[in-house]
Amino acid sequence: MKIMGDSSLNFVIPISYGSTEVIETGKWGFQKPHTAFMTAPCQEACPAGVNIPQFLYLTQEKMYDEALFTILRENPLPGVCGRVCFHPCETGCNRGQYDESVSIHAMERFVSDGATNQIQNIQLLSKRDSKKVAVVGGGPAGLSCAYFLSLLGHHVTLFEAKKEPGGVMRWGIPGYRLPKSILRREIQRILNLPIEMRTGVRVGKDIPFDVLDEFDAIFLSPGAGVNAPLSMKGGHLERVWKGGEFLERINSKEKINLGKETMVIGGGNTAMDVARSALRLGSKVTVAYRRTRNEMPAIQSEVVEAVEEGVRFEFLVQPVRINLTQKKRIAVTLQRMKLSSPDPSNRPRAVPIKGQLLTVETDSLINAVGELVDLSWIPKKLIGDDLINPNSTPKIFAGGDAVPQPRTIVTAIASGKKAAISIDLLLRGEDHHEVLSKISVGGKGSLSMEAYLQGRDSGRWPEKREVVSYRQINTLYFESSQRVRMRKRQRNNVLKGFSEVNLGYNAKEAILSASRCFSCGTCNYCYNCYFFCPEGVISLDPVEKTREVDYLHCKGCGTCAKACPRSVVMMKEVV
Amino acid sequence: MTGNHAVAHAVKLCRTPLIAAYPITPQTAIYEKLSEWEASGVLKGIMMRTESEHSAMASCIAASLTGVRTFTATSSQGIALMHEMLHFAAGCRAPVVMANVNRLLAAPWGFWADQLDSLSQRDTGWIQFYCENGQEALDTVIQSYKIAEQVYLPAMIALEAFFVSHFMEPVDIPEQEQVDRYLPPMDLPHKFDIDKPGFVVPVVSSELYRKYKHMAQVSMDSVKEIAGQVDQEFKKEFGRGYGIIEQVMVEDAEVVIVTAGSITSTTRLAVKGLRKQGNKIGLLKMRLFRPFPVEAVQIALRGKKKIAVIDRNISLGSGGIFCQELRAALIHSSDHPLIYSYIAGIGGTDVTPEVIQKISLEVMDRVDPFDQPIWVMDG
Repeated sequence: MKIMGDSSLNFVIPISYGSTEVIETGKWGFQKPHTAFMTAPCQEACPAGVNIPQFLYLTQEKMYDEALFTILRENPLPGVCGRVCFHPCETGCNRGQYDESVSIHAMERFVSDGATNQIQNIQLLSKRDSKKVAVVGGGPAGLSCAYFLSLLGHHVTLFEAKKEPGGVMRWGIPGYRLPKSILRREIQRILNLPIEMRTGVRVGKDIPFDVLDEFDAIFLSPGAGVNAPLSMKGGHLERVWKGGEFLERINSKEKINLGKETMVIGGGNTAMDVARSALRLGSKVTVAYRRTRNEMPAIQSEVVEAVEEGVRFEFLVQPVRINLTQKKRIAVTLQRMKLSSPDPSNRPRAVPIKGQLLTVETDSLINAVGELVDLSWIPKKLIGDDLINPNSTPKIFAGGDAVPQPRTIVTAIASGKKAAISIDLLLRGEDHHEVLSKISVGGKGSLSMEAYLQGRDSGRWPEKREVVSYRQINTLYFESSQRVRMRKRQRNNVLKGFSEVNLGYNAKEAILSASRCFSCGTCNYCYNCYFFCPEGVISLDPVEKTREVDYLHCKGCGTCAKACPRSVVMMKEVV
Repeated sequence: MTGNHAVAHAVKLCRTPLIAAYPITPQTAIYEKLSEWEASGVLKGIMMRTESEHSAMASCIAASLTGVRTFTATSSQGIALMHEMLHFAAGCRAPVVMANVNRLLAAPWGFWADQLDSLSQRDTGWIQFYCENGQEALDTVIQSYKIAEQVYLPAMIALEAFFVSHFMEPVDIPEQEQVDRYLPPMDLPHKFDIDKPGFVVPVVSSELYRKYKHMAQVSMDSVKEIAGQVDQEFKKEFGRGYGIIEQVMVEDAEVVIVTAGSITSTTRLAVKGLRKQGNKIGLLKMRLFRPFPVEAVQIALRGKKKIAVIDRNISLGSGGIFCQELRAALIHSSDHPLIYSYIAGIGGTDVTPEVIQKISLEVMDRVDPFDQPIWVMDG
């Protein structure tokens, strides 16, 4: 078609087939977006410092092996922690302020259970070094320390007094919470590393403590395996048990006859384990605790499950006397207590109400309070305040129940990890305190092995990351949703044996749960920045794990930083 | 049928694949009718319900540059909001066709007929037609596609609020085959092509900008001739023609009344009455406003002594806009006539045959030139 009077048809429509890229509009801006990963509050709260948003993201993407490896970088026992951890991560979870926290605990279990078969061996993280380290005590702290030291290239000899390693995980926690098969698999994964395992060797008895002198460093993690004697008469009676011993015999599959009724003394996790195990032996169980439900140190879900299973509770009572009745039953005299002003741990004190005593009869009594660390084999100079003083000798370190910290599996694992890093630094002749502050995750004492390895190998320590607060999350991008409740074994089957009660998530439930993660401070390739960028200068590649900004054409409008739901993109002024 | 529905029929007959619009009284009936047809499947195209008139026009421009026929309809505040994009449409040489129902511009608020909304856009580079009734609106939409797609310029069809948009009159709807025969498929020298990416509205040098503007002016000028041809072809196919202007009893007229839009119909009646009384009054209807048909007007009004232009619009500080244009068109005619500017029908006020008679007789008596607009405050 011809335009009358117009000879230059080719130029009628002002269209260009060149590119505007020659105009470097990026030079106009005075600020530029930067990907600045931050620490999620869950990660800060996790004593093991696990990169939770990262493993949840990978789970959501069905990259299960990578997800497990993400956990294993910081915690060698995810199958255990995914079952028995007190999961402070979920308390820290920002989503908890929005609707319900992400079910991180159950997700750790899912990732561990689903992928372990594929990852039998963990690749060595660092070049081998020929220093020798002794680890005494094969519980969570000792295993953790041995694991990380081995990955850092050291020769580790692990001394375990019992015939099998695992400590409280093997001999304390009953199988309905932590199946032995799971534990064995987890420990095997650690022992697949070149660790010399010496079981049935009690240091200080089977071999002298001095033997450890030949090692370049020593880690002591004996665990609180000794029950305090009952501070009253009658502790010697038959059917009066110590909690730890009772659990150990359960876990050794010994036959125990408790009789029709059992009383358990205590309010901690051991008391709950004892009580629920006693139920499974066919006894009616009453837990006597000197404070109230609110003060119980046990994990809340354990208390709930104990109640569900039929454990009775008697609060504000303390046993003062035990007698044998004529029918060979046990008569326990209980002192009524009341709450008073808080003690140094900020819990209300329980004080006796004068004259108020009551007596109850029971067939068995199990004392589940006052677990102590056996320090008899340790040289006196290393002991202070009934625990090991790790600062007394440079090459000796300690962890787990033997140092002043909460007695939980994950804190034990964390202490093993911290000791492994400290030992590595000692053996490399580097300043211990300076480095620990550089690799801390948030401000609650957790350490990042990932950060340690990065700095150790390159000499460049990662920048300190801030913790993402709830108000830094752009919640407009999230729909309200509920946690997936975990399926449990049917009530009428639960008490017939020691089979695991909680059944875990299936893949669908897990992916749904993972997708609820705000991914605070961690890019999960949601593509918001990409879609909102008015200049089209952002490129993302989740496969290659790259996020790039074409700074020559980014005008620095800041839309990407505003649009990021998880506070990953930060605007920085151009200097 | 109403003028609005007549327009909708024309859009359907032209097989327009993309309509992007935003509703506004008194245009909404066009939007609604097309929406209804889209929903029922009668209309094969896409009806984009955009968030504003500005976006509607932007959508039409983008779609048009992919080589498809586009349509939008608006009115008053809507076309005012669209203003920026009107320049883009013309500058991109996108042959978008738009119906604008002439409604007054706020403030104060109102819905009534007034041509200022489209006349305010006279310098945006759009072809503009002013229609007398629904039939003409329908026919002009079809003609506009044929013109716009030859010169690569957008075209606007103006019809007054209520007097044309809502009045019901018999309208002859052409057969689809006739329209298909008359209107060839659209073709563009450059189309958006995903295999050959390009972008419109690049930054250009002063010289290149001047070149584009000059080319557009050349194309716009050619419309005067092309519009005439297209109208003749239309007459051949459909039996109706309008011309770019229309003369009624101008030949022997002592006074010629110049009108645009619906006032033309009233004037036809008034002129008949005046002729019966022995007054030699003629009528010149302005149908094409952009480009302004200077030569045709010069020929039509050659030798006339007195002219009265009735404007349903006012350019404050000047006068009626059609009158300004006419005066400018005749300035080089030898012995050019006295031209009086009458402002009548502003804000949808009624312009009755009596008003026109009064204007005619008044002009017959006038002997001196008068520069100011004369406001008709009757009715």
